[in-house]
Amino acid sequence: DEAKMKKGLEIFNEKAACAACHILKAAGSEGNIGPNLDTVDGLTQASVIDIVTYGLGVMPAFGEDEILTEEEIVIVSFYVANSVGK
Amino acid sequence: MSKNKSKLNLNRRNFLTGTATLAGIAATASVVPITIANANHSEGTKGLPDFINWKDRDALIVHSDKGIETHRSAIGESLITPNRNVYIRNNMPTMTDTQIGKRNDWKVSIEGVKNPKTFTLGQLKKLGHTTMASILQCSGNGRGFFEHKVRGSQWKTGAAACVMWTGVPLMAVIDACGGINRDAVFMTSSGVDHEPTGLDPKKAMVERSVPKQVYQDAMLAWEMNGVPLPNAHGGPLRMVTPGYFGINNVKHLGKVAFTTKESSVKYMKSSYRISPIGKKGSQYPSCWEMPVKSWITRPTDETGITRAGKVQIVGVAMGGTRKVRSVKVSVDGGKSWKKAKFIGPDLGKYAWRQFVLETTLSTGRYNIASLASNGPDKQPELRMENRRGYAHNGWKDHSVNVTVV
Repeated sequence: DEAKMKKGLEIFNEKAACAACHILKAAGSEGNIGPNLDTVDGLTQASVIDIVTYGLGVMPAFGEDEILTEEEIVIVSFYVANSVGK
Repeated sequence: MSKNKSKLNLNRRNFLTGTATLAGIAATASVVPITIANANHSEGTKGLPDFINWKDRDALIVHSDKGIETHRSAIGESLITPNRNVYIRNNMPTMTDTQIGKRNDWKVSIEGVKNPKTFTLGQLKKLGHTTMASILQCSGNGRGFFEHKVRGSQWKTGAAACVMWTGVPLMAVIDACGGINRDAVFMTSSGVDHEPTGLDPKKAMVERSVPKQVYQDAMLAWEMNGVPLPNAHGGPLRMVTPGYFGINNVKHLGKVAFTTKESSVKYMKSSYRISPIGKKGSQYPSCWEMPVKSWITRPTDETGITRAGKVQIVGVAMGGTRKVRSVKVSVDGGKSWKKAKFIGPDLGKYAWRQFVLETTLSTGRYNIASLASNGPDKQPELRMENRRGYAHNGWKDHSVNVTVV
């Protein structure tokens, strides 16, 4: 799991650039386009996988548009779900 | 850190900005540090984000810092929803005072008219003046009742408000521009709140087309419930499209154009489309007219213990683009209905009406529902299933279970 968290943070900051648009205290990110991830209620790994895959509003569909692989989406979603509120 | 940030901006540009316009936007994106976008969005002192720290925390359900719902019982028992209780749903970060500048100098351009013009807010104030009540309701209000795990804020009843707007009738602005072009089919309103983000306008600009005739009752509003339109609600100027879902009431308004085609931005073309579950696309209807709808605001589990005896069942009912005509209330889950009484002033067809049914309840468990009609249309029992959980007006899901002791 530690390796997954490390890899997840890397995807969060770099390949997916989640950090550019979202606040997540654990990642030190300060983006303010989408919601502050620490404040999203009911956030789970499954809900993150869903939204990262299909996008929402201005958020790209990272899965459908093949920006990330399925495996990367699972890892970054694991990272986010296990980092919120920390 | 600075190395990280430049990498982030580079990545963000790759995904969110179109390459064709990159030359113009790249400069903006790289010089807009993310911390500036974040400036109005740090955490406030009472569990609300700083930019709406003036709101009433107790009246609100926080789904996220950009999706904040009004409690069922807090939408305003005297018809108008107080600003401090009004829900928040932002597609783009709320603009700051610095980004907005002097409010009277805010500019809006009018196109697709005989003489296209740009007006400042100060100039608009000289063109006309009106006040109108209309309902602001997120297209996804009621999404929280759908069962197919819909993405987006899980609103129940509280992504809605009845607001008194003050501004200029759009008609007066059109007159000052010599009238609408004859070939126009749509009225297209554009926000500018994406500009400080440096994102590609095709993906980030909130630009919404509605049928042209909406201009007849539309207004450009600078006041909300008697105070200057708060930035969080689109200040200093927003479009008001009465009877149409919230998204069409474009915030931070920069342009109104009468166009032959619908806008091609993402927020028009692919977002806010009412499609079957598992399907999507611009061939499906856009979130435009709101359907007839009502819901109970009291008693609910939120409002405390309900004692046996005389009970006032209170709620709101709206007709959408028509006047609401009647509302019935059931205390037995829809088996039998009684006509409720409209109370309070009638603020016009675009406002909701309050209703009350006085009844006597003995101890027990009750399912209390309301069913509104605007004449031709009444609320269906069940929701219209759709992919994104839009436009829910089924009475069953909106009912409340109340224990009377």
